[in-house]
Amino acid sequence: MKRQKLLIFGLNHQTAPVAVRERLAYAENEIVPALIRLKQQARSLTEVALLSTCNRVEIIGVGTDSRRAAEESAAFLATDRGVQAAAFKTALYHLEERAAASHLFRVSASLDSMVVGEAQILGQVKAAYAYAAEAGTAGLVLHRAFHKAFSVAKQVRRATLIGHGAVSLSSTAVSLAGKIFDSLADKTVLLLGAGRMAELTARALKRIGIEALLISSRTFDHAVALARELGGTAVPYDNFRPHLRMADIIIGSMAVSQPVFGPAEFEVVIKERRYRPVFLIDLGVPRNFDERLNSLENVYLYDVDDLGRMALESRDEREREARRAEPLIELEVDSFMRWLEELELVPAIKDIRSSIEELRTGELQRHRAWLASLAPEERARIELITRSLVNKLLHRVLSGLRESHDAGAEGPYAAAIARRLLCSDFALEKENAREILEAGDPEPPAAPHDERFESSATRERK
Amino acid sequence: MDLAWASLALICYFLSSAGFAAERAGLWRRWKTVAQLLLAAGALLQVIEFAKGALQTGNLPVTNFPQSLSFLACLTALAGLLVITRLRMTVVGTVVSPIVFVVLGIALLMMGPRRLTLPATLRSAWLPVHVTLAFLGYALFVLAAGVSLVYLTYERRLKAKTLSLEDGGPAPSLEKLDRVNYHLLGWGFLMLTLAIATGAIWADATWGHFWSWEPQESWSLLIWLLYAALLESRLTIGWRGRRAAALTIILFSVLVGSFVGVSLVTPGKHGGNFG
Repeated sequence: MKRQKLLIFGLNHQTAPVAVRERLAYAENEIVPALIRLKQQARSLTEVALLSTCNRVEIIGVGTDSRRAAEESAAFLATDRGVQAAAFKTALYHLEERAAASHLFRVSASLDSMVVGEAQILGQVKAAYAYAAEAGTAGLVLHRAFHKAFSVAKQVRRATLIGHGAVSLSSTAVSLAGKIFDSLADKTVLLLGAGRMAELTARALKRIGIEALLISSRTFDHAVALARELGGTAVPYDNFRPHLRMADIIIGSMAVSQPVFGPAEFEVVIKERRYRPVFLIDLGVPRNFDERLNSLENVYLYDVDDLGRMALESRDEREREARRAEPLIELEVDSFMRWLEELELVPAIKDIRSSIEELRTGELQRHRAWLASLAPEERARIELITRSLVNKLLHRVLSGLRESHDAGAEGPYAAAIARRLLCSDFALEKENAREILEAGDPEPPAAPHDERFESSATRERK
Repeated sequence: MDLAWASLALICYFLSSAGFAAERAGLWRRWKTVAQLLLAAGALLQVIEFAKGALQTGNLPVTNFPQSLSFLACLTALAGLLVITRLRMTVVGTVVSPIVFVVLGIALLMMGPRRLTLPATLRSAWLPVHVTLAFLGYALFVLAAGVSLVYLTYERRLKAKTLSLEDGGPAPSLEKLDRVNYHLLGWGFLMLTLAIATGAIWADATWGHFWSWEPQESWSLLIWLLYAALLESRLTIGWRGRRAAALTIILFSVLVGSFVGVSLVTPGKHGGNFG
C-alpha cells in the first residue's frame, strides 16, 4: 500500500540568486492556469499548489512517488518557464514528509524569510492556497497542511512577537537610549508592566550595561519573578510613583485605558530630577504615557508607532527570537504527521475493525441478562452469528476500500472517509474542526467543519 | 606681514569644512580623517605664522583686530581638534571648521600687508600670557556654542522622531554633548577669569591701576558675570540639556557682539589704540 506524502520542490533566496528566481517566478494571474498544466504534466502529484514570491518559487504537492514527482516538477518548471533545467537544478530542494511540513510551516510563520518576521509571507501563502483551491488542485492533504500552516503562523506570532516587529522595536529603543545617554551603567530603568515586550527591551538594555532595574507590575508576583530573572528590584504597583524621579528610562507596557501619568504630574518629577533627561518608552496599546509628555523639557517619549517607524533591521535579535518558535513548529509537524498516517489503510482498517467489534460486544452486553438465561450452546450460537455478521460486513467494507484506494482521485482518502463513516470515535474530528476554527482564516475557501470532503465540495462549487 | 602662511591655512580650513560636510552627507566616510588632517594642517600653518611674527617683533603679534581674529581662529582650531580627537566627536568638526574658516577669512580681508610693529607699552612678558588666556577662553566659548548648536539640532530631531539611527554610528549622545558643553564652559570661564586677573595685574604694573573701566574691561566683566550665572544655574537649579545649550548660544552671541563692537566701535587699549 502506498503512502501519501507531502512534497515540496522549490528554490528560495538561500539557494538561488534573484537572477534565477525571477526567471521561474509566476505572476499572480498566471498561477491558476499553471496549476492546471502542472496537474496534467506531473501525473505523480495528486494534489498541488504553487507558491511564488520574490524570495521563493515552490511546488507544494502530494504524491506517493517522491522521486518521480521531483523529476516531473523540475521538468515542468523548465518547460513551463522556458528555462534550461541545468540553470536551476542545483538550487532546487526536495523536501518530503516531516521536512516538507516543517518547511511549509516555517515559511508561513516567516521564519524562512529573508527578513525573519516580515508580515507579507503569510498572505502570500494564503493566496497560494486559494489559487490551488480555485484551480481544484488542492485536496484533503493540502487543505489540512495549509490550514495547519496558517494556525502555526498565528501561534508563532503570538508566542514570539516576531512579526509584531517587537524584536526590532526593542533594539530601536536601545539605539535611541544610546542617542540620549552616554553611559548606561549609571542609569536606572523602571519597567511599568512586566510584559514580554518590556522584558525584551529590558534585557537588551541590560546587555549594553544598565545596572539598576526597577520592575513594577499590577501582579506583584510577575514583577518579582521577572526581577529575579533579570536581576532587578520589584516595586509594588501602588508604590511606583516615588520611584519615578530615579528612573532615567521608563518602559510602560501595561494594559490601561488611561495614561499612567500626565504632563502636570511629570513636570514635578522633572524638577525633582533637576532636569536630567528621561527616556519614556511606551510599548502599551492603548498608550501608557500621555503624548504631551514629549514636549516637556529633556523628556523624550517614543510610543510603539514611533519605534516601529524607526525600527532597525536587527537580524541577530530576530533570529534569536525566531528560535523560540522551533519547538512549536516541531509539535505541529508531529500532529500533522500523525494525521497523515491516519489516512493510510492499515490504521483505518484496524480502527474500523475495533469500532465494529465494539458495537457487537456492546449489543451483547446490553442483552446480557437475557443471554444469561439461555443455555450455554445457544449463547455460543448467538456469539457465532454476531461474529460472522461482523466479519462479513468488515470484509465487504475492507475489500471495497482496498479497491477504491488504488483507483480514482479520491481513492487515497477512501480510508479516511470509511473511518469517518464507520468509527464511533469522533473526538479526532472535533479536535480538527476546533483547530481550524482557531486558525481563524477569515475567508476559508472551504467549509472548515467538512474538511475531509471539501476537495469534492470545492469542485462542485466551481 | 607675510600672508602666505595664513592664506594656505585658510585654504586648509575651507577644504576641511567641505570634508566634514561631505562626511555628514554620507558621501564618503574617509572624509572624516582627511577633514581632521586638513584642520590640523591649517592650525599648524597658523602656528608657524605666529611663530614667525613673534620672532620678527620679539613678542606675540596680536595687537590689532585682524590679528586677534586670526589668533582666535588658530586657538579655536587647536582646541576643536582636541575635542574632536580626544572626545571622539567628529560632528564638532562640522561646526568648528566653517567657523575658523570664516573668522580667518575676515581677518585676512582686514589685514594689510604691513610690517609688524609693537607699541613700546606692550613689550611685556604679560602680553602673551594675558592675550593667550583671553583668546583661549573665547575659543572654548566658540566651541561650547558649536557643541550647543549640535545639541539643539540632535535634540530637535530626537523630539520630532526624525533622528536617523543608521547615520554616523558613533554620533555623540545628548548626554555627552551636554557634558562636553559644560566642561568647555567651565574651562573657558577659568581662562577668562585668569585673563581678567592677569590683565589687571599687568595694568597695575604699567599704568598704576588695576581697573580703568574702559569698554573692553566692562564688557569682559559683564560676560564673565553672565557665564558665571550660566554655570551657577546648572549647579544649583540643574538647568541642563536644551536650556543650557540655548543659553550658551545666546551668551555667545553677546560675546561676539561685545568683541566686535568694542574692537571696531569704541576701541580702547584693546582695540589696537594703545596709549
